[in-house]
Amino acid sequence: MVVHAVLLIAIPLLSAFLIPLIRKISKWFTISILTLNSIFSILVLFEVYNKGMIYEIIAFSPPVGIYLAIDNLSALLALIINVFGAINFVSTLKEKSFKFHMLYLLAIAGSTGIVITGDIFNMFVFFEITAVASYALVASKKSEKAVEGAIKYMILGSLGSTFILMGIALIYSQMKSLNIYDIANRISMMNENIKWISFAFLLTGIGVEAELFPLNGWVPDVYEGASSGIASLLSFGPSKAAIYAIARLLIVIFPSMHTYEIALWIGVATLLMGEIAAFMQTDAKRMLAYSSIGQMGLILIAFSLVSQGIRYSIPASFFLIVSHASAKSSLFLLSHKNKMGSALTKYGGITAVLSLIGMPPLAGFWGKWYLFLGAASEKLWLVIILIFFSGIIEAAYFARYLHRSIGEEKMEASYAYPMAVLSTFSLAFGLLPFIYKMANMHLLGGV
Amino acid sequence: MRKQASVVITVIFFLSLTFAFYQISSSYNYMENKYDYTNPINESSANESVPQHYIKDTKNETGAINVVTAIVVEYRGFDTLGEVTVLFTAATGVGFLLYNLYSRKKNKREANLILREGSKIVLPFALLTGAYIFIHGHLTPGGGFPGGSVIASGFLLMMLSYPKFFMNEKRLSVLESLAGITFVLIGLFGLIFATYFLQNYLNLGNVGYLISAGIIPLIYIAVGFKVGSELASVIQNLKEVQE
Repeated sequence: MVVHAVLLIAIPLLSAFLIPLIRKISKWFTISILTLNSIFSILVLFEVYNKGMIYEIIAFSPPVGIYLAIDNLSALLALIINVFGAINFVSTLKEKSFKFHMLYLLAIAGSTGIVITGDIFNMFVFFEITAVASYALVASKKSEKAVEGAIKYMILGSLGSTFILMGIALIYSQMKSLNIYDIANRISMMNENIKWISFAFLLTGIGVEAELFPLNGWVPDVYEGASSGIASLLSFGPSKAAIYAIARLLIVIFPSMHTYEIALWIGVATLLMGEIAAFMQTDAKRMLAYSSIGQMGLILIAFSLVSQGIRYSIPASFFLIVSHASAKSSLFLLSHKNKMGSALTKYGGITAVLSLIGMPPLAGFWGKWYLFLGAASEKLWLVIILIFFSGIIEAAYFARYLHRSIGEEKMEASYAYPMAVLSTFSLAFGLLPFIYKMANMHLLGGV
Repeated sequence: MRKQASVVITVIFFLSLTFAFYQISSSYNYMENKYDYTNPINESSANESVPQHYIKDTKNETGAINVVTAIVVEYRGFDTLGEVTVLFTAATGVGFLLYNLYSRKKNKREANLILREGSKIVLPFALLTGAYIFIHGHLTPGGGFPGGSVIASGFLLMMLSYPKFFMNEKRLSVLESLAGITFVLIGLFGLIFATYFLQNYLNLGNVGYLISAGIIPLIYIAVGFKVGSELASVIQNLKEVQE
């Protein structure tokens, strides 16, 4: 059976357009569409696992047309976004407005589009869809803090979009092409100065979405203001898609020692800033938000080690993404009440925290393990020391968090169950053997 | 301090842009001989650039005279689907967030006689022009987005001249959804009847006639209805807040 990857985007878009016609059953319709999409994303993952990189042409063959290019990492991310999106939707069942369901579907479709497209302008379009849907979803709580966060996010996000568009225009002016792999093949012909300016613009623009230092001023306010379900969506959806877009930028389009070095030190700065700020917070959601920033820095470091240690860099980012997406979204759901009363929530919270700190055999451990191997193969001892240091800070504030949140009070089932299921993913991905094979398929740089 | 910082950042931004565009113009001759593109899938290369391909082969491949339309709807139709969705998302978000502030008061003095009577005469022509622009998108300049905006501007004129003018929001959203569904279904039919999503599977017809270019006019009519109803509903939502 041929799996059409374009259905991952087309079906949620079609259903988002359809929902205003069937307002009364919109909740159940959304659940069934999200389930259908998760099944599709699992099929796509197995297709990539069996056949390697898959392409899907849309309308015309590239570079005059657009195609989707799916490697192992983007198949994994599509799976995470769609499956976690379906699970996380359970926690937002209280929302009755059909427009909320439409925006949820659009955010899922947009972030899936970012990771599976092979065309740089198409990526920009999906960035726009994801960002606009996220602004509205963040503000959907309608509290003062939520609106403040949404406005900050909107201003920074639209500035970032402008930068992305400028960067794409500069690339197109030189290469006369928008296809990522076509550009990558001929990047050496580009004027040096324009190449650097467009790289800077793209990194700045995507960095806003990917929560990189110093573009992440919106992050704590947004995560604090948004309702728990939406904070969880943002932590596994748009931010992960954006960090993957940076990986494509870095590894596929602009592969050079200098770009890796820039990314490495931005990653280290993001990591340290996030972890130290998280340690100083008193509010649980703000602490989790800063911790998210730190984890994004860690993922960026993993991507930037690609020049010598591609053997370790891709698996490291693979496991770090899984661990962060599952554990952090589970903790954001826990932060709804911050009380771990029942056994289920205790299991979920403790698994998530252990995975983030990096305890074997959870996914977070394998991520940090490969990260250290990669950094050691490049002889970056300072980076290793800094990652150790930030790991200790992380363990300290998460221990404090666990200590404060264990209590008698119980959470609603609509939060407890998805949370436990989400943190099970970091356990499962650490234990399943086929994941290792998948992580070691180095497809990102092309075939 | 903040003001100065923002001024510095703006200056740096513009200087780097100026520098980049200066580089483009100065390296123009040098660029002429790198016009070959590589096919990323088959690794075979052709000796023309993507823009050249658009200018030379549009008529044969898509049947549209207007190259811009062919690029927007055919070659990069997936981007257009995305852009339509961006607008849809923004309209949905505005409607979602402003829903609580809904209140319709009787208010306002009427507009003057000239505006009232004039807008009655102008409205049908505005709608007709909008429809003309998007139906003839593949033949003349224009297309779904400008046509839809012209239609929405007709409704804006009615709102300005009659304060009580009110559009049924439910009908607008039904129209919007139907247009969006049409666009995606045309794409999915491409997957079913031909090989690719959004592929032009209809007969291209005689180049230059109204009924030609396969799915391009169909998509542009859908886009025109969609943009028109979306912008009208955004205006409607904002008007309710103001009151």
